Amino acid sequence: MTIYSFYIFDRHCECIYVKQWHQRDRSFRPTSSASTVDSPVTLSSDQRSSTSSKLQNDVHPTGRGGRLSVQDDAKLVFGVVFSLRNMVRKLSGPDDSFISYRTGSYKLHYYETATNLKFVLLTDVKMNNLKVVLHQIYVNLYVEFVTKNPLSPIEHPGGEGVAVELFEMGLDSFIVNLRPHPPLRRIQTNLVLNREQYRIDIKVS
Amino acid sequence: MVILSILILNKAGGLIFQRDFNEGLKKLSSNDYLVLAGTFHGVHAITSRISPVRDSGGGLEVLESDRFRMQCFQTLTGTKFLIFAEPNQPNIDVVVKRVYELYADYVMKNPFYQIEMPIRCEAFERNLVAYIKPKQ
Repeated sequence: MTIYSFYIFDRHCECIYVKQWHQRDRSFRPTSSASTVDSPVTLSSDQRSSTSSKLQNDVHPTGRGGRLSVQDDAKLVFGVVFSLRNMVRKLSGPDDSFISYRTGSYKLHYYETATNLKFVLLTDVKMNNLKVVLHQIYVNLYVEFVTKNPLSPIEHPGGEGVAVELFEMGLDSFIVNLRPHPPLRRIQTNLVLNREQYRIDIKVS
Repeated sequence: MVILSILILNKAGGLIFQRDFNEGLKKLSSNDYLVLAGTFHGVHAITSRISPVRDSGGGLEVLESDRFRMQCFQTLTGTKFLIFAEPNQPNIDVVVKRVYELYADYVMKNPFYQIEMPIRCEAFERNLVAYIKPKQ
């Protein structure tokens, strides 16, 4: 059970928040290649504006092998999510909603609020439906710490006012808590086995 | 078995076959289906690109929505089979495999079929309908 990254897109199709946990290897970016599994990479608004132009130039021009910057990744994710959402709506009516898709290596979960805020979570393929989780993130974290923040602007151009400390802390602990508890099944089978042995013993005696 | 619809895309993203089997999806115009196929072809390519792990295991395989579940199977030659089923339909893999077999038998072995062109093979449709029986 791995959670790779989390994106929020606003209604102007702009990525207002990115957080990545398990970074794939981006050899051209010293900051992220140094970051280990447990140090998430987040782009806050000021960081992003200063680094985005540099990052875009750093993208490898080679086709499949080249890795994209976080910003370009976010644009692609938005493109995919937007197209699939429109496709689903076209095929089965405007009140149907796109939930998730899965490829051979990851699964993308999607939740859209009534105000067209889009929440996207990339996990490994074994994860169950996380729409509820995304809804919880919206209700308990985004609304509480971003929308209700009196200092935060109404719109968030360039991610302004989203990456606040409380929201980030809440998100981190929320994602950590998603990891499953150790399975109980093994203990149960042991119990059953023991009981059978016990029964057999009684029969013998 | 409730299969709603089957689409087949050639390797360039062109729609070469579309047929509805059960009610559930809206009827679109043939032009809209072509647009949809082209869009999906692009999205499929991007989904393998944005993979967070190193070896992207190909593009989109299963898409879920509230009302349907779509399985996408890409052959080695790049032809895509899109199977739309009800959300809780089990064993779509089997259906996909069987449809591919029918395609190989009745389309590819048809001497009059021009490759990459829309499928107009009566035997293929007949066998497909016989396999995916419409819900009574």
